[in-house]
Amino acid sequence: MKKLERRDFAKQTLKWGGTLTFLTVLNLPRMALGAGPPMGNPLNTMKENPFLNRDDLQDALKSLYMTYDSTSPYPHKFNDVISKGQLECLEFIVSKGLEKEYAEHYITTMKPILLRVKQRVEKDGPDKALHGMFEGTTCSYQLMERIEVSQGERSFPCPYKPALENCKKWLPDRFFMEWKDICNRWCIPVWTGFAKVIGVKLAVQPGETCRVKLA
Amino acid sequence: MMKNSQITKNEISSLDTCDDISRRNFAKKLLSIGALSSLAVSLIPEAALAWLDGGFAQREDLADAIKVLVKTYSDTKPYPHKFNDALVKMHLRNLDFAVRKGIWKERAEHYVWTLGVVVDRHIKKGVEMFGKDAFLWGNFERTSCSYQLYERIEIKEGERAVPCPFKPILDQIQKSMGTYQITWEDVHNKWCIPVWSGFARNVGVEIKVEPGETCRVKVL
Repeated sequence: MKKLERRDFAKQTLKWGGTLTFLTVLNLPRMALGAGPPMGNPLNTMKENPFLNRDDLQDALKSLYMTYDSTSPYPHKFNDVISKGQLECLEFIVSKGLEKEYAEHYITTMKPILLRVKQRVEKDGPDKALHGMFEGTTCSYQLMERIEVSQGERSFPCPYKPALENCKKWLPDRFFMEWKDICNRWCIPVWTGFAKVIGVKLAVQPGETCRVKLA
Repeated sequence: MMKNSQITKNEISSLDTCDDISRRNFAKKLLSIGALSSLAVSLIPEAALAWLDGGFAQREDLADAIKVLVKTYSDTKPYPHKFNDALVKMHLRNLDFAVRKGIWKERAEHYVWTLGVVVDRHIKKGVEMFGKDAFLWGNFERTSCSYQLYERIEIKEGERAVPCPFKPILDQIQKSMGTYQITWEDVHNKWCIPVWSGFARNVGVEIKVEPGETCRVKVL
């Protein structure tokens, strides 16, 4: 179906190319590219689409199916293990009184990447800091179900609240932290630490929908 | 990395075996064991069938999951990202911290103790009823902790094999940032092996781990 559309498109473009106005020539590729990259040869769109060129999608789909077909005792989601795993480790770290060093370790080990984000901020503006910390990294977009992007602000459903509730319910006497501990001892110190290296300031409004804004 | 033909073959066989073990065989075994106490019968099926329970088509949150999947697999630079990317990185980061602080043993013990609730509640009973393979079943294909971490789980009676998810990501981190102190051997010896052995001890099973790009865990 797609191949036919693309072939026909190419034929028609070549056939009528001579009579096309300059404006039409400029506009057509954009139509042809649709949701793809904004520039480039539309005939190569499929060939160059990174998703369509992956040959390991079946593993991902199977994992996704296994996750979303497991609805008892609670509906599992793709971020199930990462959110529970983070909580389990944080519980251990907090019990040892090492949460400050734990957050600092994350910031320090991420420094080379954060410095690259800083360069982008200097070139393209402070919103790139939020991009680099949220929708631009798997560590966030594989953790948060959705990331709402607006200029100077990102918001997302807190993954830890439901995960902590499930952990407390299904693993009794193993989790003693409160939800606010996750905000205050993990998320806020890490994000503000990242921001400091990048050279921006943030304001965090924790909640079921957590908001992070450039200050 | 396995060749494509092998992947397909293995995966089909994995899925079949997986399905067989989890649902059909499980039910068969369950029905055929007339001597089971009514308590065990009432406990185990609930735990076993609360997995691949047919709820997929009723889920209303699939759009988010699919968007993240497409985003992940479109993210091919500097390396092709996979669904387990952030989870693997989290484990490596936690291990790097624990090793630096000299608390990796306690860390692994805490993990085993935390999840021990599930192991005691479900897997122990499974081992008592169906034998040692139930330990591997509970530790690998039955839990999101594994099937969200490993790309594939190859299933044989008494053995599971998984492609190590840690090696490629650790290599990538060391190449692009060089900020971690742990080695791949640390991942085997200070995380995977202590954790699996800890779970096995909880249920009275002995295991042998053969670490590698394809990691093999066998019950003895």
